[in-house]
Amino acid sequence: MNKRDFPTMLLYVLGFLLLWEWLRPVEQLTETDNIEVFVLFLLVSLAMSYLKIKWIWQFIIKILFILFFIHRFYYEASFFQLNWLTSFSNDFIYNMGLMFARNWNDLSYEFRTFLLFILLWLMMYLIQYWLLRQQQIFIFFFMTLIYITVLDTFTLYDAKFAIVRTVAAGFTVMGMLTFYRIINREKVKSSPAFMKKWMIPLTGMIGFSVLVGVVSPKAAPFWPDPVPYLKAAKEGAGNSLGNGPSRIGYGTNDERLGGPFIGDNNPVFMAEASGKNYWKVETKDVYTGKGWTPYGSTPFDFQEGELVPFYSIPDTVETTKETATIYPVHTKEPLIVYPAGLQRIINIEPNYEAGFRQLRMDTTNEKIESFQTVEYKLDFVIPKYKIEDLRKTTDFNSNGINRAFYKNYTRVPENLPKRIKQLTEEITAGKSSWFDKAKAVEAYFGRSEYSYDQKNVALPGPGDDYVDQFLFETKRGYCDNFSTSMAVMLRTIGIPTRWVKGFTGGDFLKYSQDNNMRIYKITNNNAHSWVEVFLPNQGWTPFEPTRGFTNDIRINYGSNEATSNEQPAVPASVQKPQDKPLDEPKQTTSEKKMFDFTLFWLKTKIFFKTNWVWIALTIGGLAALITILYRTRGKWLPYILLLSYRFKQKDETINTAYLTLLHQLDRYGLKRKENQTLRNYAQYVDQFFSTREMTRLTKCYEEYLYHQHLPKGSWLETRKLWENLIKRTIA
Amino acid sequence: MVKEQINPTIDKILANIEKVMIGKRDVAELSLVALLAGGHVLLEDVPGVGKTMMVRALAKSVNASFRRIQFTPDLLPSDVTGVSIYNPSEMEFQFRPGPLMGNIILADEINRTSPKTQSALLEGMEEASVTIDGVTHKLQKPFFVMATQNPIEYEGTYPLPEAQLDRFLLKMKMGYPDLHEEMEVLNRAQRIPPIEDLYPVIDLDGLRILQEEIKDVYVDDTIKRYIVDIVNRTRGHESVYLGASPRGSIALMKAAQAYAFIYDRDYVVPDDIQYLATFVLPHRIILKSEAKFEGISAEEVISRIVARVPVPVQRFVK
Repeated sequence: MNKRDFPTMLLYVLGFLLLWEWLRPVEQLTETDNIEVFVLFLLVSLAMSYLKIKWIWQFIIKILFILFFIHRFYYEASFFQLNWLTSFSNDFIYNMGLMFARNWNDLSYEFRTFLLFILLWLMMYLIQYWLLRQQQIFIFFFMTLIYITVLDTFTLYDAKFAIVRTVAAGFTVMGMLTFYRIINREKVKSSPAFMKKWMIPLTGMIGFSVLVGVVSPKAAPFWPDPVPYLKAAKEGAGNSLGNGPSRIGYGTNDERLGGPFIGDNNPVFMAEASGKNYWKVETKDVYTGKGWTPYGSTPFDFQEGELVPFYSIPDTVETTKETATIYPVHTKEPLIVYPAGLQRIINIEPNYEAGFRQLRMDTTNEKIESFQTVEYKLDFVIPKYKIEDLRKTTDFNSNGINRAFYKNYTRVPENLPKRIKQLTEEITAGKSSWFDKAKAVEAYFGRSEYSYDQKNVALPGPGDDYVDQFLFETKRGYCDNFSTSMAVMLRTIGIPTRWVKGFTGGDFLKYSQDNNMRIYKITNNNAHSWVEVFLPNQGWTPFEPTRGFTNDIRINYGSNEATSNEQPAVPASVQKPQDKPLDEPKQTTSEKKMFDFTLFWLKTKIFFKTNWVWIALTIGGLAALITILYRTRGKWLPYILLLSYRFKQKDETINTAYLTLLHQLDRYGLKRKENQTLRNYAQYVDQFFSTREMTRLTKCYEEYLYHQHLPKGSWLETRKLWENLIKRTIA
Repeated sequence: MVKEQINPTIDKILANIEKVMIGKRDVAELSLVALLAGGHVLLEDVPGVGKTMMVRALAKSVNASFRRIQFTPDLLPSDVTGVSIYNPSEMEFQFRPGPLMGNIILADEINRTSPKTQSALLEGMEEASVTIDGVTHKLQKPFFVMATQNPIEYEGTYPLPEAQLDRFLLKMKMGYPDLHEEMEVLNRAQRIPPIEDLYPVIDLDGLRILQEEIKDVYVDDTIKRYIVDIVNRTRGHESVYLGASPRGSIALMKAAQAYAFIYDRDYVVPDDIQYLATFVLPHRIILKSEAKFEGISAEEVISRIVARVPVPVQRFVK
């Protein structure tokens, strides 16, 4: 089979693709550059092997290739001034020593490059051995899959397409090799026609299953992401905050928002409180077009038990007192989480100095830091706003707000696209108060064209504005997209806003020991961001633009009726919204009119996503129906056959009729072994039914089959026999 | 096997043989297959099971001249083929035909003689002529050799090489008669052997006509394909060192034609092939020594192969 025909070339190409999958992540995950040289090496070597160049030439060419590129990467002088070789061989010998001393880290780069070449060489040999000699590739294919999935799980490498590619290539190779193995085992002369017969269904099946696999909705993993767990196990109480850009959780750097998120179910802290609360960590003030940066830093030290130096809720607002206790999971974590309306931080454990703990707060960001806290108690108030007070502010008034402060919190980048402002003005048209305008913008995100999504979230390109991209192009995203958009939109119409980061209320765990309080578990998945709008005389009022999340404030709608319209103070927030039925993203722009494959793909995906229940039900129902029909075919199929053959007059009918009868008998349970001759089988059938019909019919068929002899009118004579036999197969 | 009607002439011959041979109808049938197909038979069996009796009965039934050659180590080729002797009165060499110049020849213990003599016989079998002193003598037609080989003794024997075994259409064993059959043998042995009482059923011309008729037995392409499939499998089988040659395929087809004729059919069915494959093919393959050590016989290999090849039940589409 070691030939130079097209199938062999296909095998080589597929082998090359599988090997390439091993190299792809290397470039992304390690410092290896110029990966294309190694790919070229693979190509050249496999091509030489396919062309069956004499081994000695293959060897020389490969060695020259390796030396040439090592020289190109690491040596200055000309390749043909061979003195670089001395230096390389010295390096080589030195590194061999290091290798045997297992000083892996000290190996020089050229030696590493050399080793990688050698490794590829070995792998290629193995591939050839598996493909052409052994004709079994499963182990390698399986290892490739494991390699890719492990990298996908534990590193940043996104193997979404790698898996698809590998599965397609791998199964094709395995299918082809199975074909060759069967050919070899059965000693059949293979012909291109066989190959075609084999390859067409194979390609079809692989294509179909890959398509179904890609398109069909996938369940989220049943187990928690192992990475943070492993990391935690490795680093002890490691720093779980800021686990890298693509992992959910609390991160401090928000200069560049966007991109997909991966869930992380590791707990961050426990909260003991009377109800669910949003937990703040810090606020950010300056929108850059890509993300948020702090406006500045004004550290301020204060003591445990002292009033926290916030811009607190004005006295005009009615409040209720509450307390909560926080138990951080990672005690090294310096950040304090707190609810809006925080008054004091008390009872910080452990209490080292048997006195009051010193705390540091950044008053600009409202970020409070402490160190190594195991437990702390928070005194806070929950405001109850009056609706007419909230609606009082309709315009900027320097009496209510400091001008510099106002300027700070309404600042937007100069190059912010104008359409954001236009959109905001459209949304808020007809509303006069800041509060109503903010509510209108908040409600705007509830429209069905916006969807919550953690995965298919774009990262703005160099020319894109983060908010603009979300509002007008992608329309799908998570809390950062929604909250940043709302904050920026309100700023464009002159309402001071800021961006708040923290955690949602978490999952209710149990009641505390004295049953008055509830204990909630807050995980990295609860990391969240929302918006606060500054209303003069009311303070910073929170808003929740993100779809599927609620953080309603208490508002007293009737001026004096205290509680009639009171909203629940802290309603259960919906953590992970189910994927809501998505409408097709509206493509209004004219340039999208031409056929766009991506669009088509997206539409298909969305179609499957929205209708997958119906599709699944229909397929399931059809499958059930077919199964039932198939299982009961013994009851109805013979009648249909009898009917369909009744009117056939031609003598040749015996051909199909007899074969059909064989099928029916087989289905009935009278199996004919492959090596059983017809008359032998007929005798067996006749014995079973105690007749002579099958033998007589078989004699007629044998005459036809082995003698090409079909007397006129023979079918009409034998039809009765055939019908009797078919009737006997009715279950 | 489904019992079928037997060709009337053949039936008479078989009945004739059965008068002297008790049981062994299958051996008689197969011998007839070889005779009708123009082939030869190699019987591998111990002495005393009635080989000679059967051949003589067969010869008698078709009114053919019967010769017997007892092969010994010192037998010369000329002892088999005949020799030219100088006749002083005629002043020339005269050919004295040897025992090979008969119609039906029993070559007893063929592996006892030297390869030279063996090949003289085998050449005659293949070419239907012998060349002595530059003169080619046509052998009589029909010409049918039934050679026997003793499988027990190996000392002082010259086993036939595979290439020569190929010349035999069928190779079979006679086997011992069963209890009742052997008692019947004893009963008959008390009287005069009845072989002298046999009357010929047909004459040699009749036999020749039958032989011609066999060539007209129809072999469909599906059957030919089936034959080739079986023979092909012997070539790649794991226990087989050397598979059957195309001559094997031809032999299988010819034997099947004769067999179909015996059963009064003018076409071959897969049953014929299945039945005959274990007689036509085993001596045409060479087993690997591993297989021999494992105790697998060539017959078993062929049976397994036949059991694996699907029987054609549909029209063969090219």
